[in-house]
Amino acid sequence: MALDEIRGGRLGAGLDPAIESRIPFVAGFMVVVFGIFGLRLFQLQIIEGEQFGRLSLKNSVRSVQLEAPRGDIVDREGRTLATTRPAFGIQVIPTDLRERERTVKALGILLDADSAALDEKIGTPRGRSRFQPVKLARDVSYDELARVESHRYALPGVVTDIQPRRHYVEGEFASHLIGYIGEIQGKQLEQDEFEDYRSGEVIGQTGIEKLLEQDLRGRKGGRNLVVDVAGRIVDVLDEEFPVPGGTIMLTIDRDLQKVAEDAFLPEVLGEPGKLGAVVALDVRNGDVLALVSKPSFDPNDFSGGIDTATWNQLSNDEWRPIQNRAVSGQYPPGSIYKAIVAAAALQHGIDPDEPVYCPGKFKLGRRTFHCWKREGHGSVDLRDAIKNSCDVYFYQIGLKLGVDRLAEMAKAFFFGRRTGIAIGQERAGLVPTREWKKRRFRESWMKGETLNVAIGQGFNLTTPLQVAVAYAAIANGGKIFRPRLIRQTIDRDGVVIPGPPVELLGTVPVDARHLARIVDALESVVGEEGGTARRARVPGIRVAGKTGTVQVVRLKHVENLKDDEIPIRFRDHAWFVGFAPVEAPEIVVAALVEHGGGGARVAAPITQKVLARYFAGRVEAAPAVEVLESEAGSGSGPAGEEAMSEVVDTASGGDRARN
Amino acid sequence: MRGIDRRLLQNFDWALLGLITVLVIMGLVNLNSATHAVSGLAEEVRRQIFAVGLGTIAFFVIVVIDYRHYERLALPVFGACLLLLAATLVFAPVTRGSQAWLFDGRLQPSEFAKVGLILALSRYFHRNPPGEIRSLAQLARPALIIALPVGLIVLQRDMGVALLTLLIGSTYFAFVRISWKTWAGIAMAAVMALISLWMFVLEPYQQRRILDVIDPGRDPLASGYQAIQSRIAVGSGGLLGSGYLDGTQTQLRFLPTQHTDFAFSVLAEEWGFIGAVVTLSVYLFLLLWGLVIARHSKDSFGAMLAVGIVGVLFWPAALNVAMVLGLAPVIGVPLPLFSYGGSALVTSLAALGFLMNVSMRRYVF
Repeated sequence: MALDEIRGGRLGAGLDPAIESRIPFVAGFMVVVFGIFGLRLFQLQIIEGEQFGRLSLKNSVRSVQLEAPRGDIVDREGRTLATTRPAFGIQVIPTDLRERERTVKALGILLDADSAALDEKIGTPRGRSRFQPVKLARDVSYDELARVESHRYALPGVVTDIQPRRHYVEGEFASHLIGYIGEIQGKQLEQDEFEDYRSGEVIGQTGIEKLLEQDLRGRKGGRNLVVDVAGRIVDVLDEEFPVPGGTIMLTIDRDLQKVAEDAFLPEVLGEPGKLGAVVALDVRNGDVLALVSKPSFDPNDFSGGIDTATWNQLSNDEWRPIQNRAVSGQYPPGSIYKAIVAAAALQHGIDPDEPVYCPGKFKLGRRTFHCWKREGHGSVDLRDAIKNSCDVYFYQIGLKLGVDRLAEMAKAFFFGRRTGIAIGQERAGLVPTREWKKRRFRESWMKGETLNVAIGQGFNLTTPLQVAVAYAAIANGGKIFRPRLIRQTIDRDGVVIPGPPVELLGTVPVDARHLARIVDALESVVGEEGGTARRARVPGIRVAGKTGTVQVVRLKHVENLKDDEIPIRFRDHAWFVGFAPVEAPEIVVAALVEHGGGGARVAAPITQKVLARYFAGRVEAAPAVEVLESEAGSGSGPAGEEAMSEVVDTASGGDRARN
Repeated sequence: MRGIDRRLLQNFDWALLGLITVLVIMGLVNLNSATHAVSGLAEEVRRQIFAVGLGTIAFFVIVVIDYRHYERLALPVFGACLLLLAATLVFAPVTRGSQAWLFDGRLQPSEFAKVGLILALSRYFHRNPPGEIRSLAQLARPALIIALPVGLIVLQRDMGVALLTLLIGSTYFAFVRISWKTWAGIAMAAVMALISLWMFVLEPYQQRRILDVIDPGRDPLASGYQAIQSRIAVGSGGLLGSGYLDGTQTQLRFLPTQHTDFAFSVLAEEWGFIGAVVTLSVYLFLLLWGLVIARHSKDSFGAMLAVGIVGVLFWPAALNVAMVLGLAPVIGVPLPLFSYGGSALVTSLAALGFLMNVSMRRYVF
């Protein structure tokens, strides 16, 4: 064997001492290295183990929220106004998209969408976001969903999901009252009230949705999922089901609301008749039966997050569809105010039967104040003056009482004060007094201004809600109730919680006999030959009411123009407020049509329709309303039945009226 | 060899075989968990068992032939390894940035090159006793022997293995008699070399990996991701571990390359501090046992061979564990005997065959 061949060292001839002496060092080095590993393991696993354990858990456990369906909003009869419906969404998971081009194209066809836009939405996500679903469509129709589902296997990477979505059954209906929802805003998140909300959550932003957010909201559920590194669900650790929100029963009557809303339709009111407000109250307790503000919007547009274009359109619209005119629109009351002035007169001892001669004008110093009827009403007492809406009669009353007595009575009827309705940024309106003018303009009160105030013009500003509340007091014997919106709440557990109790805000300081006299006069407005509001009659029902027409600009700008030649924004505001039945009043309805023209012609029919609907069950088949309308329709001047004095400064009133 | 059999059996190193067996079985058990998430006995486990079989055959073939024959075979084997490396450069496709695999990813010649290298170096230092080497000039030839395979591997752009091969070759320098001043000079040169390596050779992703060791939180979802997830896995194991097949980091695949480079993370997560320390202890014991074998070798060739084998196991193990524990950059160095990888396992077992060979024949003469 050649094994012992020597060259340098000899095989099998013992170890080089140099090697022998160095081996312990090599061994020592290895022990040190492994010792460091041991220490490092001790540090990571024993000292920092708990912390890493948490990180590991965070890696693999993902908490998912389960949205609770929002509670329903129903009308006083339990008819659904707002509910929650399932919304089907289409998503893709980028990493699972095989044959992306073909799949996206197919989706475009199935969803009737631009596939290039879809493709752009998907983009080119990298890293872990490749595993995250991309939302392509949020609320597809059932048909579209079915189409996608039936091609599911040909569309790898496409998934569908169901999310609860707010649905307003009637669409554009009581929008200002019910309100809308939207994602919680940064500002709101900072408030204590919303401390248990998270960014991205949806909350009520206006109306009942906002007011009763806590009741409607429901309790969110949640799910703890074990996910793998790709975010794919491996297991469900635990789960808590969401609890739907409570049901809110409003005092609103869907049918009355509907009738009032429809009265503003262009085909009914004529272009451009869509602006205004209607308030219907139960005079016995203040329940709001209808609350309309026009123009309005479809709250469904907000449910899936409103798109910028729609929002801009709504918020930049010169007619301000978002504003709730019924509670925050301020307008001069016009002749509607005369009933209040009459109450002040009676209460201050003016004899209602003492006649005043109306020659069609009234001279105060060097100025002349006209009656709307240029040829004059002749000799009129209080009843005639209300029935015919005689301005001269009320000029004299106003002068006798003075503006502060008028104001005192108006305030008792809650003009110039908030009624405390819970929604819509209610405004107080304005009841002018001497002191107010001094404060506001640093000027003394002029007698001529009292004349304007006495016929509801000048500085006076009221909301449609105030008008309804005041006339409810006339109808119910003087009681001012806080307008009530919520009848009851049925909470998440099915427990019925009554709404806020009927609340008496005050009683007007007018004797019952005086109120009766006013009611009698108001009935003559509607019920008697020669009254200004014959169009408000409801066959078989005794209706009382008052018209009002508010000039928006000085008469001289428009007096030579025919009705339909006047630019819309210069046309008069039309009022009508009525209640029924006179013998035992139940309902009051105030209607305002902005730039609508004469109160009798435009506003009275709206009130009439609501009243007719309210009493529909109680009256035998209603005789033709058409006949009644044609009978009273002719002969109105440009400013309706009660044009105003030339000198009244309504230009400023007009500006304020649009506030 | 007829007369050898009986004495060979008498001197068979059961302790060495035992240590190897324990590590291989632990590796298989761990691999099963690392690949468990996919489904049952994964393809990887089957292939690894096959490699264990192949490695065992290699082990015993190498054991049977007296290691002194390998002294003569050293140069041809080394030459063959270099040829194989060169062939890889020509034929192998580029996968994941490097060009290190032949036959559809089934053969990694750089693994065998380590063994070829230590054979060549053992032969050289047998003939030129390291105790007599006192100047750097005398190291020129062994340095060349190391540089040849390392250079070829660098050309394959497999930096991890190149570094490893370099370290394994350098193990021998622990035995030469060169003054500390010279070593200091070498160290200086090495630092210079590293700086120029950083600036001119390393790809940006490789630079990032090194930076990530210093601060893994730098970019948690990109290059630091592996380092962070590995530390989370190890740390969350705690004292006793999350239990076999129950490590969430492993089973939910938060660990990257958990069956190869990060196999030890899996073990540390599921078996905890105790499991990790026991495993490392078995490892250390095997390495020290290898040194004992070297110490008791009957000649320098045997001793040098044994030391080389210890180096073949020690360096990758040290780099791998340091990487897993966040003490070294993420370089693709698997844990010998433990990580998934056929070529590596066969090579390791073959290398241990040499160790057993030397161990069995220490009383022969």
